[in-house]
Amino acid sequence: MPVFATDQDVYATIGALFEWGSQDPELGPKIAASGLTIRFVYHEPESEITVDARAVPPEGRHFTVLCGPAGLTPDVTMEMNADVAHTFWFGHMNLLTALARGQMKAVGPIQSILKLLPAIKPAYKKYPEIARAHGLPGEE
Amino acid sequence: MEFSEFQVPTRVVAGRGLSTSIDIELQREGLTRGLLLTDAGVRPLADRVRRAAGSRVVGVYDAITPNSSVEQVEEAARLARELEADFLLAVGGGSVLDTAKAAALVFTEGGRLLDHQGVNVLARPLLPVAAVPTTAGTGSEVSIYAVVRDENTGTKVSFISEHLAPALAVLDPVLTLGLPPGLTAATGLDALTHALEAFLSVKAGPLSDALALAAARTVLRELPRAVVDGSNLEARWRMLTASCLAGMAFSWAMVGCVHAMAHACGGLREVPHGLANAILLPHGLEYNRPAAGDRFGILGEWMGADPVEAVRSLAERIALPTRLREVGVEEADLAALAELAMLDGSIYANPREATAEEIEAVLRAAL
Ligand SMILES: [Fe+2]
Repeated sequence: MPVFATDQDVYATIGALFEWGSQDPELGPKIAASGLTIRFVYHEPESEITVDARAVPPEGRHFTVLCGPAGLTPDVTMEMNADVAHTFWFGHMNLLTALARGQMKAVGPIQSILKLLPAIKPAYKKYPEIARAHGLPGEE
Repeated sequence: MEFSEFQVPTRVVAGRGLSTSIDIELQREGLTRGLLLTDAGVRPLADRVRRAAGSRVVGVYDAITPNSSVEQVEEAARLARELEADFLLAVGGGSVLDTAKAAALVFTEGGRLLDHQGVNVLARPLLPVAAVPTTAGTGSEVSIYAVVRDENTGTKVSFISEHLAPALAVLDPVLTLGLPPGLTAATGLDALTHALEAFLSVKAGPLSDALALAAARTVLRELPRAVVDGSNLEARWRMLTASCLAGMAFSWAMVGCVHAMAHACGGLREVPHGLANAILLPHGLEYNRPAAGDRFGILGEWMGADPVEAVRSLAERIALPTRLREVGVEEADLAALAELAMLDGSIYANPREATAEEIEAVLRAAL
């Protein structure tokens, strides 16, 4: 059974994580500096989130997070099952292995987002909190 | 040990003088209308292969330059379409082979080359490529990569997919007999770098290990002989074989920081790939030593000496440059090169998790 029942569960957890990142004084500016628009497309359930560091962000945020179809042209698109994203944000996934095994598809100059990997490390701590608060299974 | 994968999608045939009967192999693949890709330097060799291919070659594109280029890839794809080609015949070194593989991508998928960046984006077989290497080093005749220089940004762009592997590789050592000593040495060091980086990679697996170790030992033994006496067919044969084995190994195991830095040097300063690897290899190995665990020891057993020492003494014996400044890199380039290297996919398979500062220090040590 998929971890997330509906797209709203994805937005209330992974979306909330990205929202948290957009306000985090450490992580936010690093993503903003990339100037990238990154589209995350999830399956089971069908859902998508766009992280937009190109447009001027809302007050108090370093970049914009859009849940649901955003109609922007992304620099990079990452596509995966929402379950895979759940495991990834728990910090339990080797990205190279996930890409090698076809669990993720990346369209665009992927090195530009691989470069962001060191910056997002604090999110691996935050996501389990958000997921547990939403009643999702852990990844021990 | 978490996960490894291995396959060789390419059918490899090897033998002395085999390129003179390439028509038989093309027929076995069902290939009938080929565009021959080559560069002006090896045109005489390519013409020999073309004669052997007979009516199966319907056109020639020989404007390929070192380090490949997006423009040339797209031009070759356009020409292949015009000729209604059903395969590309690549005769040359790494740049020619990679250009052909990338051109096959554009031919089949359409659009511009850079539209197709990413991982797991190619879902179907591409226009078949028959690869005939004229250097012993690239391994591109069997690898699942194509690396092309984007002339607009001065960066190297890597494409990866098992669909990029050539359908056929023809290894004929006779084609490498005329390679001058400097190029023989530099391309040979590329093969050695593939082998050593594949063995130390976080993606190394049992099958790639076996190939990498065999390739490394062969290069150490045979490269000096091939450099000293280019007409030594036996040494040429073993080097061509080692290059292919190393290509198979790194195809799945990937490479590491040495290639990341070499790609940066090739992108920014157009340093020939083999030379950049030759200069950077001992420094990259030294950098990785603390993260290599017992792998350095295993390499040492196979190489008959400490890996760094073995590489240094080999480079000395075959008179390769040892400093980046000898090949046009300046102090002022180092920060930009480090930044570029950190953007290269190879850096993610490096056994030691690298930072831009550390990579800059490695580059500085090699300056
Ligand atoms: Fe290489």
